[in-house]
Amino acid sequence: MTYKQATYDEPLIFELGKPGRRGHLPPKTDVPPREITIPSNMKRKELPQLPEMHEGEVVRHYLHLSQMNYCVDTGIYPLGSCTMKYNPKINEALARNEKMCYIHPYQPEETVQGILELIYNLQKILSELAGLPYCTLQPAAGAAGEYLGLNLIRAYHHDRGDYDRIDIITPDSSHGTNPASTVMNGFNIIEIESNKDGQVDLEALKAVVSEKTAGFMITNPNTLGIFESQIEEIAKIIHEAGGLLYYDGANFNAIVGMIRPGEMGFDVLHFNLHKTFSTPHGGGGPGAGAVCCSERLSSYLPVPVVEFDAENNRHFLNYDIPKTVGKTHGYYGNIAIALRGYAYICALGAEGLIETSKQAVLNANYVMRKLEEIDGLVLKFNRELPRKHECVLDATPLKHEIGVGAMDIAKMLISRGYHAPTVLFPLIVHEALMIEPTENENKESLDRYIEVFKEEIAKAREDPQYAHDAPYNTAVGRVDDAWATRNLILSWKMIKELEKKGQWPPKWPEDH
Amino acid sequence: MSNFSHPYIANSEQDKKEMLAELGFNSIDELYSDIPENIRFKGELKVPHFQSEFEVKEHIEKLLSKNISTREYRSFLGGGVLDVYIPAAQDELLRRTEFYSAYTPYQPETSQGTLHTLFEYQSMICELLAMDTANCTMYDWATGLGEAALMTARIKKKGNKFLYTAATAPNRKEVLKNYVSGAKLELIEIPYDKETGKMDKEKAIELMSEGVVGIYFENPNYFGVVEDEIEEVIKVAKERKIVVVAGVDTSSLGIIEAPGNYGVDIAIGDAQPIGAGPLNFGGPLAGVFAMKFDKKWTRQMPGRIVGITLTPKKGKWAFTNTLQTREQHIKRFRATSNICTNEALMAMSTAFHLALLGPQGIKETGESMYYNAHYLKEELEKIGVKTVFNSEFFNTFLIDLKIPKDKKEEFTKFMLERKIFAGIPFSFDGENYDYLITTSYLLKKKDLDDYVKAIVEWRNE
Repeated sequence: MTYKQATYDEPLIFELGKPGRRGHLPPKTDVPPREITIPSNMKRKELPQLPEMHEGEVVRHYLHLSQMNYCVDTGIYPLGSCTMKYNPKINEALARNEKMCYIHPYQPEETVQGILELIYNLQKILSELAGLPYCTLQPAAGAAGEYLGLNLIRAYHHDRGDYDRIDIITPDSSHGTNPASTVMNGFNIIEIESNKDGQVDLEALKAVVSEKTAGFMITNPNTLGIFESQIEEIAKIIHEAGGLLYYDGANFNAIVGMIRPGEMGFDVLHFNLHKTFSTPHGGGGPGAGAVCCSERLSSYLPVPVVEFDAENNRHFLNYDIPKTVGKTHGYYGNIAIALRGYAYICALGAEGLIETSKQAVLNANYVMRKLEEIDGLVLKFNRELPRKHECVLDATPLKHEIGVGAMDIAKMLISRGYHAPTVLFPLIVHEALMIEPTENENKESLDRYIEVFKEEIAKAREDPQYAHDAPYNTAVGRVDDAWATRNLILSWKMIKELEKKGQWPPKWPEDH
Repeated sequence: MSNFSHPYIANSEQDKKEMLAELGFNSIDELYSDIPENIRFKGELKVPHFQSEFEVKEHIEKLLSKNISTREYRSFLGGGVLDVYIPAAQDELLRRTEFYSAYTPYQPETSQGTLHTLFEYQSMICELLAMDTANCTMYDWATGLGEAALMTARIKKKGNKFLYTAATAPNRKEVLKNYVSGAKLELIEIPYDKETGKMDKEKAIELMSEGVVGIYFENPNYFGVVEDEIEEVIKVAKERKIVVVAGVDTSSLGIIEAPGNYGVDIAIGDAQPIGAGPLNFGGPLAGVFAMKFDKKWTRQMPGRIVGITLTPKKGKWAFTNTLQTREQHIKRFRATSNICTNEALMAMSTAFHLALLGPQGIKETGESMYYNAHYLKEELEKIGVKTVFNSEFFNTFLIDLKIPKDKKEEFTKFMLERKIFAGIPFSFDGENYDYLITTSYLLKKKDLDDYVKAIVEWRNE
């Protein structure tokens, strides 16, 4: 396949347009104009310098930009732990329903019964899949879910007078958000090393568990794609110490409908609807989180909780949760995103959801076995163990041999019109290439990806500089991240100031 | 092996057989062989299933049909989100799958579209707020407030008190309280003046004592009142090296002064009222987070930031995520925030909207809202309904209705019968309710007259 990403010398929008042009005429009131009496200290003196363009120019500018972007619909996007699956188009259409878009969060309950019912249904489904009876959609993303889940754990301990439980334990393979959410909750983080099988080292765990243990956070299968088969033993150790178990649902696409975290001993979990349940990633968000928990954590859920009053056949927002942790989002979460996840689940049903997981796992193992045959790549940790929805290959041998590491491989792949795996994560694999194909790729697509992997590594072996100079065929060549951090040019306003000083556009160091 | 085929699943039974054969397995279940038998779920999952896309569509449309939208009834609801119109051109751009089905631009060379657009969003926010830098959004205004409080504590290191005005929206107060609960940051509420509804400036100055790291106020505040006597408070805050944080109604910024022009260090808000997207029942929104540039302080900012960089080979400038070493995927427990997924598409959507609207559009929508609100206020006064606070306001004000608790539901219904969402009830004493009214630029004179008429009828009941 030949590939060349569209490339435009697209200027910043502020350089386009001319005074007096209009891109949109907003509705105007028919109430007569009047003098604006805001005192001069608080009255806007100069209008913001926004673009002045006609509609067509605006569309053309952003159309050009959109074409300089790789997306799921362009090709395989096997970012490990990100679950970049196809975003069904019907979900986009449904989310544009006027009765979804144009409802205010504080409308009287009787005028939002439809959306409350949808939220309620989704909560029930997610609880069913989690094996944990209570659910809230309030977190706007996965990390917000972690934050809330840990909030519940803290509230539980404090409610019991257990103020000394300040330790959250997590393996060193965990997602970066886990320790970050832990610290934001005021907990102390203890990271334990993984064992030679890439799993939690039970001895290391036992060594750090104490009367200070508040909880344990893990994703299962873990970020190596390995299922933590000793999970019951882990749960026992934590529970006996008086701690609770948190399940990071980022890797849930491996086990949907087959294993329920509640039955593995977890007390609380979050789902990423933008991973497992197909809602778009939007170039970084919005996502949608959801937190499910056990009975003993339910009395701390954030308000309001969407409930159903069977007697009056009415859904309602329950604010009467005396021990609530309060609120972790201004309203009820990313509801228009949750709607997409609900539509996805309705389209697949139980059998379909289970099948998606199975095929995601099949695809990951297929790719893994083919890629580990490539000279220079190895599968770290127990080779024999099947992986689940993702696998992590290590390019350290190749790096030692010819100096070409995971990042170079990533850039060579994107030159060819395929997205790179997640690179350099998890941190316990030095030159990590973390691959999650999802059930969205068929055998031909995977075979092509594997072939391109082989071809590019072969090219690198012939000429390592080729690898260091990649990517080719993309809108821009390899960018210098260090320069960006040193110079910090973060807005057009800052560019204008540089212009005044004669320092824009940035000058090229001679040696480049 | 089941014979399952579905549009969301790529491989056929034949593909599966071939792949399993290559792996040396007979069934996918063998890939799960390492999972202990007793934790596998064996029951029947209660999950709905609809056979076709058509039926899914019917089901969801039927559910949604039970809602009544602000396109059917006249909405006087605000409080942080606003009823807006999304131009067709904006939605057309939002439907570009290149934007919405991309991931966070971790590979900048193949994601210049996302990065360039986010840089323009940051830049437009800076123009609107008169700030130097902005991040690529927080989840919403409320979580932005929580993050801002935590950031002031990181900047100041010494001190553990954060002041905020009592005229902050109740939902934002709740999130603020929650967000600082892990940080040992003490919150102190500054009262508002009972007559004007403005922040009590004497009290604010008195409270800005030793150990205070930041002060937060909203402008216009939750009651809609413009904080036009804030200068002295800001001056004292600066003298005492306290970080000034303001929450602003972004839709007011064609009329009301930009926070960067009156001494604010960190400005937050939501981009939804300036067209990030429709109401969406309160989410997704787009938390605005902007600040004056400071080499040290900017490094303490939460969230993602797009910056300019160079491509050494081709000698071009380009965009990339910068200051990533503040973020959780690298810094783990030392990160400035746990945020990973944000509201990037809403940020891009804001850029589309503002590019279409232009400076004139920002001014005109602001004027429409101002005219509507002031007309309605005067008409209500004519029938003897006063505003609770007699101060300058933009598009929101609190009307003195004092609906008793036991009549509240009846009042809501009464207004609904007239196709009106009456406003946000607010009670000072827990017994009687006043109503916070917001007039969007979608309302016309007749809608406002109908509101007044409805109140007259209610009073005559």
